Amino acid sequence: MKRILKIALAATALLAVAGATSATFAKDTIVWWDFLGGGDGVRMKALIDQFNKEHADSVEIQATTLDWGTPFYTKVQTSAAVGQGPDMMTYHESRIPLGISTGSLSPITPEELKASGIQASDFEPANWKAAESADGTQYAVPLDIHSIILYYNKTLLKQAGLLGDDGKPKGLDGVANWDAALAKLTANGVVGLSVPTADGATMWRIFYTLLNQQDGVFLNKDNKFLDGDNLDKATTALTEMQKWVKSGWTPSQTEYPASIALFTSGKAAMHINGVWEVPTMVDLQKKGQLFDWGAIQIPTFYAHPATWADSHSFAIPNRQGNPVDPAKRKLVLDTIHWFNQHSLSWAGGGHIPAFKPVRDSEDFKNLKPNSDYAGLAATAVFDPVSTLAGVASPVYDAAGNYIMPAMNGDMAPADAASQMRDDLQGQVK
Amino acid sequence: MMPVGFFFRRVEDLAVILRSKRNEILTAAVLMAPFIVVYGVLFIYPTIKMVQISFTNAPLIGEGSFVGIENFVRLWNTRLFHTAVWDTFYFVILSVLPSAVFGLIIALGVNRLKGWAQSVVLACFFLPYILPVSVVYRIWSWMFDKDFGIAQYVIAPFNGGEHLSIFRTIPVFMPAVAFVTVWWLMGFNVLLFIAGLRNINKEIYEAAALDGAGRWTQFSKITWPLVWPVTVLVLTIQLILQLKIFDQVYLFANGGRTDATIVMVQYIYKVAFQQNHGGLGAAASLVLFLIIVIFSVLQFQVLRTGSKDN
Repeated sequence: MKRILKIALAATALLAVAGATSATFAKDTIVWWDFLGGGDGVRMKALIDQFNKEHADSVEIQATTLDWGTPFYTKVQTSAAVGQGPDMMTYHESRIPLGISTGSLSPITPEELKASGIQASDFEPANWKAAESADGTQYAVPLDIHSIILYYNKTLLKQAGLLGDDGKPKGLDGVANWDAALAKLTANGVVGLSVPTADGATMWRIFYTLLNQQDGVFLNKDNKFLDGDNLDKATTALTEMQKWVKSGWTPSQTEYPASIALFTSGKAAMHINGVWEVPTMVDLQKKGQLFDWGAIQIPTFYAHPATWADSHSFAIPNRQGNPVDPAKRKLVLDTIHWFNQHSLSWAGGGHIPAFKPVRDSEDFKNLKPNSDYAGLAATAVFDPVSTLAGVASPVYDAAGNYIMPAMNGDMAPADAASQMRDDLQGQVK
Repeated sequence: MMPVGFFFRRVEDLAVILRSKRNEILTAAVLMAPFIVVYGVLFIYPTIKMVQISFTNAPLIGEGSFVGIENFVRLWNTRLFHTAVWDTFYFVILSVLPSAVFGLIIALGVNRLKGWAQSVVLACFFLPYILPVSVVYRIWSWMFDKDFGIAQYVIAPFNGGEHLSIFRTIPVFMPAVAFVTVWWLMGFNVLLFIAGLRNINKEIYEAAALDGAGRWTQFSKITWPLVWPVTVLVLTIQLILQLKIFDQVYLFANGGRTDATIVMVQYIYKVAFQQNHGGLGAAASLVLFLIIVIFSVLQFQVLRTGSKDN
C-alpha cells in the first residue's frame, strides 16, 4: 500500500518538474487556432511554414485547425472563459458582434495597432468597420474579403452571343437582361445557372446581395428586421430568385456538391458560389478536366452593384484571468501584419486580400480570375451587425427555413419574407 | 494437547488477518476513489448543476440570476419546442420498432446458416454499425442526391418520373432519416438477437418437432417467448437511443428547413450553443431527461409484465 502511495507521489512530483521545465521557452511561441479545414487551409499551412522558416530563431507559430462554425466559436468561448486558449485565432467578421457579447474577444487599442504598423487606410472602410463594435472599438484585423461570384463557361456563353471580346460576359446587368440570358442559355439539356438551391447559406448570400442592390436594409438601427418598404424589397428579391427555378433556368433543391458538378460537367452555363471554389476550378483545369472558364462579380440586377461579403480576420481571445501579456500581444499583431503583407498566396484560395497594397500590386493583377472579380470589394456589403447575424447564426438558419423554400417554390415570396421577419424579430431580446 | 507454539501462531495469524482487513478496506477505498471521483465530477455534479441552471437565465458560459420556472413556461409556450417534442416521438415510432422487427427477422435467417457463411452474412449486416455517423451521412446523401443519386432510379417512378429531393421534402424527411438509422444501427440488434437465439436449447425444438409442431408453432410457442427478454432489452436500448436522436437529423437537415424537422437535442443545441441561452437549454435538457426516464421505465415495466403472461 505504502509503495503505491510512494509511486503516486513520485509520479506527481515528476509531472510537476516536467511541467515547470517545459514552461521555460528558448524562443517565443504563438499558439494559433483556425477553422480553415478546406482547400484554403492547405494554403494557410504553407504560409505558416514560411513564417516559421523566416523567423526560425525568434518566433514559432504552433497552429491547430479546429472544426468550422459553431463548434469553433463554442470552443473559443469556453476556453476564454477559463483563461485557456490560443494567443491568436481566425474569426469571421460577421461573427464579431456575437463574440463581443459572449466576451470571447479582447479589444485592440489604436496604439497597439500603430506600433505594429497596422492602419485602417490599408483596408476598405466597410471591411475595417465590420471588425469594430458599435462604439468603434477594434476587435480584429481583416485578412481577406470573401464573397459570392459568378462562374461562367466561356464556350457556352460564346455560343449564346453573351461573351464580349475581352472574354468576359456581356449584357447580364439588369433583371430583364439577366432573365433573357438565362432563358437563352437554357437549351439542349443545359441549364442557364446552377446554385446550391438546397443550401440555406448560399440562399442567404444571394438574397442579401439582391436586397442590398435595391438599397434594402435587412436590420435597421432600431433593431427592426425588414422594416417598412424593406419587406417589399425582400419580396422582390425572393420573387426574382424563385423565377429562376420556376422557369426551369436553375434546377431546384440542388445540394452543394451537386451544384458544382452541374457546372463543371458542362450541364450548367453559369454557377453562383463562393470565391473559395476557385481552387476547385483551377485544379480541375490544370488536370485538363475543365473547359475554358472565368469568374466575375455578381451582375447588377437593380439600382447599383453590391455583393454580400464576409471576411476572415485575426483576433486575440479574451482569456479570463490569464490574458495574453503585452509583449505577446505586440508579437501577435506583428504576425498579423506579416500575414497581411504576404496575403498574395492566401489569395490563391480565391479570397480577395483585405490588405490594399497587396490587392493593388502587379502580382495580384496578374492572378486570374481573382483580379477579375476583386472589384467587388469596393461595394461589398457585410452581414448586419447583430448577435443574431453572421456565420452559423439564427439569420443563416432563417435562410434555410424561409429563403430556401421560397426560391424552390415551396413558399410564396411575400409569405417567406414576412415569416422570416417575424421569426427573427421574435428572437430580439 | 495442543502445543503452545501452535496457539501463539494462531494469535499472530489473527492479528495479521485483522491488520489485512483494515488494509483491505483502505485498499478498496483507494482503488474505488478514482471511479467515485470521476463519476461524481463528470456525472453527479453536472447533473445537479444542470437542474440548478435550468432555473436561471444563465448564458452558455457564466452565471445567471434565478428566474424560477420562467424557462419551463417559455418552453411550454414555444411552438418550435412543441415541434421538437413531436418530431422526436415521430422519429422514435419510425425507428425503434422497425429496427427491432428487422433485427429479429435477419437474426432468424442468419441463425439458420452454418459455418463461414453465417460469419460472412453476419459481418455484412454488422458492417454499417461500425461506420461513424459522418460517413453514413455522406453515403446516403449521395445515394439520395436529387441530381446524381443512384436511388433516384427507384424513387422517380413513384414521383411521376421526377427526381425528388428526399431531405428537402418535409413529409419524407423523417421516414428517410429513420430508414437510414435502421440501416445503420440494426446490426447491433441482429447480434443481440442471435445471442438470444443461440441460448435456446436445440432439444426443445427436437421435442416439439416430435410432437408434430410446425415451423410457425415452433416460432410462436418456443422462439418468441424465449427470445422475449432480449426483445425487451433491444426495445429499451433503442428507445433511449432514439429519444436522444441528433446527429443524423442535424446533418441531413443542415442548410434546409431545420425548424420543420427539429428534434429535442437539436433544439437544446440551438438555444444553448448557437443562441447562448444556457438556462433555457438546461431546462429543455431536463425535460428530455425526464421524458427518457419516464418512458424507458414505463416501457420496460409494460414489456416485462408482458413476458410474465407468456
